[in-house]
Amino acid sequence: MTAAFYLPLGLEEGLETIVQRFGPPHDAMDLHLPVVGPDDLLRWIQVLREAREENLARRPIAGIIRSLDSVSRRFLDPRDPARREAIDSLARAGRFTAPMLERALDDAFQPVTRGGITKWLSSELGSVEALDRPAPGPGGALRRAHGPEWMLQIYAGNVPTLPIWPIYSALLLKASLLAKTSAQEPLLGPLLARTIAEVDENLGACLAVVWWKGGSGHLDRTALALAPAVLAFGGEEAIASVSRQSQPDAVRVLHGPKVSVGYIERRSLTYAALRGLAARAALDVSLYDQQGCLSPHAFYVERRGEVSPAKFAEVLASALEARAHELPRGIVAAEDAASVQLFRAQARFEAAGIAAMSSGPAGMPPGFGGMSSGGSGAPSRGATRVLQSSGTTTWTVVLEDRARFEPGPAYRTVRVHAVDGPEDLARAVQSSARLIEAIGLEARGPERVRIAAAFTALGVPRVAPIGQLQRPSPLGTHGGVRRLGPFVTWSSVEGAAAKQAAPGAATAPRAAKAPRKAKSKPKRPASRSSVRRSPRKSPKRRR
Amino acid sequence: MALLPESEFGELALEGFRSQLDRIPSYSAYARHVNPGAGGLSNWRDIPAVPTSAFKSHDLSAAPAGGETVTFETSGTTISRPGRVRLSSTVAYEASLLRNFATHLLPDGAKLPALVFGPTRAEAPRSSLWFMADRIVEKLTTGGTWVVRNGEPDWGLADATLDRAMKDGAPILLLGTSILFMAYFNRLETKARKFVLPAGSRAMDTGGAKGQRAEFARDEVAAAFDRHLGIPSTHLVNEYGMAEMGSQFYDDNFLAYHEGRSPKPGKQIPSWVRTRVLHPETLEEQPDGERGILVHYDLANVQIPIAIQTEDIGWRIGDRLFLEGRLLGAEARGCSLAFERFLEQERLTRDAGAVPPTARSQP
Repeated sequence: MTAAFYLPLGLEEGLETIVQRFGPPHDAMDLHLPVVGPDDLLRWIQVLREAREENLARRPIAGIIRSLDSVSRRFLDPRDPARREAIDSLARAGRFTAPMLERALDDAFQPVTRGGITKWLSSELGSVEALDRPAPGPGGALRRAHGPEWMLQIYAGNVPTLPIWPIYSALLLKASLLAKTSAQEPLLGPLLARTIAEVDENLGACLAVVWWKGGSGHLDRTALALAPAVLAFGGEEAIASVSRQSQPDAVRVLHGPKVSVGYIERRSLTYAALRGLAARAALDVSLYDQQGCLSPHAFYVERRGEVSPAKFAEVLASALEARAHELPRGIVAAEDAASVQLFRAQARFEAAGIAAMSSGPAGMPPGFGGMSSGGSGAPSRGATRVLQSSGTTTWTVVLEDRARFEPGPAYRTVRVHAVDGPEDLARAVQSSARLIEAIGLEARGPERVRIAAAFTALGVPRVAPIGQLQRPSPLGTHGGVRRLGPFVTWSSVEGAAAKQAAPGAATAPRAAKAPRKAKSKPKRPASRSSVRRSPRKSPKRRR
Repeated sequence: MALLPESEFGELALEGFRSQLDRIPSYSAYARHVNPGAGGLSNWRDIPAVPTSAFKSHDLSAAPAGGETVTFETSGTTISRPGRVRLSSTVAYEASLLRNFATHLLPDGAKLPALVFGPTRAEAPRSSLWFMADRIVEKLTTGGTWVVRNGEPDWGLADATLDRAMKDGAPILLLGTSILFMAYFNRLETKARKFVLPAGSRAMDTGGAKGQRAEFARDEVAAAFDRHLGIPSTHLVNEYGMAEMGSQFYDDNFLAYHEGRSPKPGKQIPSWVRTRVLHPETLEEQPDGERGILVHYDLANVQIPIAIQTEDIGWRIGDRLFLEGRLLGAEARGCSLAFERFLEQERLTRDAGAVPPTARSQP
């Protein structure tokens, strides 16, 4: 029996739990889930706030970083029970296979270990020390960073490792965390919280990671009405409802659904580079079975390269087949397979219409099996071909001789569009650019700089090399928003006093629990971004 | 209502298909593309099925351009435009829908006043569902009252109509989408009002639109009809239909009640329809009782292709069709895809409060 929640010591006592079957019918797990009522939430929030005051608010950041680094190393160690449990339980849940999960954990934890956390904090806050005391900031002022008293985080279940960086970010900002996991993936968040508590019980005391039933509106409302900071991932509807229900003065960072695409410039389309390029493209498509916002749904491939878009599509198809063995798909629900089948039938329909319009032969029958092709010979302008895995929905490549943006049903279905230049992509995504999280770009030298600039002009948050789409850096943004910055407020010390204070501030020993009579209420910062901030509350004393 | 004999159905289907090959160019191109021997098929199972999405990208009607008398729209999204079903004649469509409706809701030959939880055909001219309601009201009832006006439900009108039915002691026929009925029941709940409609009153509810099917559990809807209107579950008939089909599928509850037997599970496949169930991965035909993708072959589809490939999952046992709702607890995926689905949901959510879905492509 797996406890699919994490609560700090003491809160678990006397808690009523229910058992829910989870995973594929033939191998379902019994998950223990807490029965949560609004009163429980209110009590937890109170306990989390007190725990923060006790354990986190004045704790030097260095110790927090050290503990989280240990946690990362545990999840990167193939023999560590935490990693093993993560992979075993998530693989058993069925949505992702073990090889996929191994890779996912590596990609998520590697950037937040071996100095990675320090780099992340420094890149966003200027220095790590700013979380402990006023530290030199831009323009000669001293600045001190404050996180929120506590955060509410709401996760989506599309990518299993999604909760990792958000949980770290709350603790790094010395904020307590109440997190609601996704019904689709309720396992990793609690497991990470438990591991954090094992490594550092003071950090563990500041975390609660729980699932409650979606649509239990009163629980969402209770939490949202109190949360000074909200980070949420979800569908449009869920995001809209979080936006409606959260406090107007709360900091809110809300991530709705997005997808990614790829672009390949003609000089990169060489026979020498083709297999490597296709392998990298197939990796981006295959990871997380294309469920993530960083999963590409289309590659826009320039004409007039040494390798044609049609040839690229063929080699991509082979690469997807290879990845299907290396990173097998998880269980695909019948509904989702039905969507893939409809996508394929629609593509064949479009291929046929085009074949009918041209005077050439109608093309060979694709049939439903075999690696089939719905077009004939070399595609002329307007031709469309459907390449697909044999007897399964494992992968699908649709070649189109025009650019458009219409994301597919995922589960490794991808379009390859022949284009003349980046402006074709820009035109195709113009009205939908807000739905694009990243563009994978294969181009070299000055062309790369020029094309990347054109894509940033669309407002697309991230341009990354093909093959690296699914490995974002914590130093970058999510949805164009930094991961810590929006939740931070600043105290600044300006002028000569700052210069005099600086050396002392940097060296004065500071007891973790020194009385703080002199601590003034930080000023409400002038808001410059569209991210909403709450007025900071002075921390509540426990007694 | 047994299925047409295999040979008779096959002959009619192939005859219809050959005629459609001649009259619907985009379908002809597709059929010949996936099967170069399409012109000489001898088994109706080989008739190439059109994906429902193709109604969005192509004109799939045998009606001459501009010659249509009705155009139904299937659900669209902010990225994809809605699909179009153009018909210049609705004779077969009406014959199919009226006969089927009468069998399942009016087997006693009753002629009742109708209360439609939806807009008039004039207000929603592109909706196959409200077209159907219009035809039913005109041909099979003593007259209708429509609850939705100018895109807004007039609950007071519903109250007044139901009050009158109670006072007169005259049974009434209710038609509408589950979501609108449930919205009305919600309101009755808050107003602490309830009706006990005269015996013989009955209701047809339908999922109405894609994405709505898991909104309410079936027993929840049935309990609400009983609690708020006094319509027992024997008198509540759920319908599954889509703009791309001239025929619909109904629960057996009321027909069974009328015939004094216990209801058969699932929905009745009309005698002029065949539903094939295909394995979601291999597309091999599934044996009875095994779930898969539903592909319908509907002889009432005269001007649009007979064979329709859906995204719906279900199974078949003999002439009974079983539909599977989305997994309970499945949430909209965040930060990911299934764009069609979430955009659809967004649109429906936006519309659901005021305007009932005007187009449907799925139950």
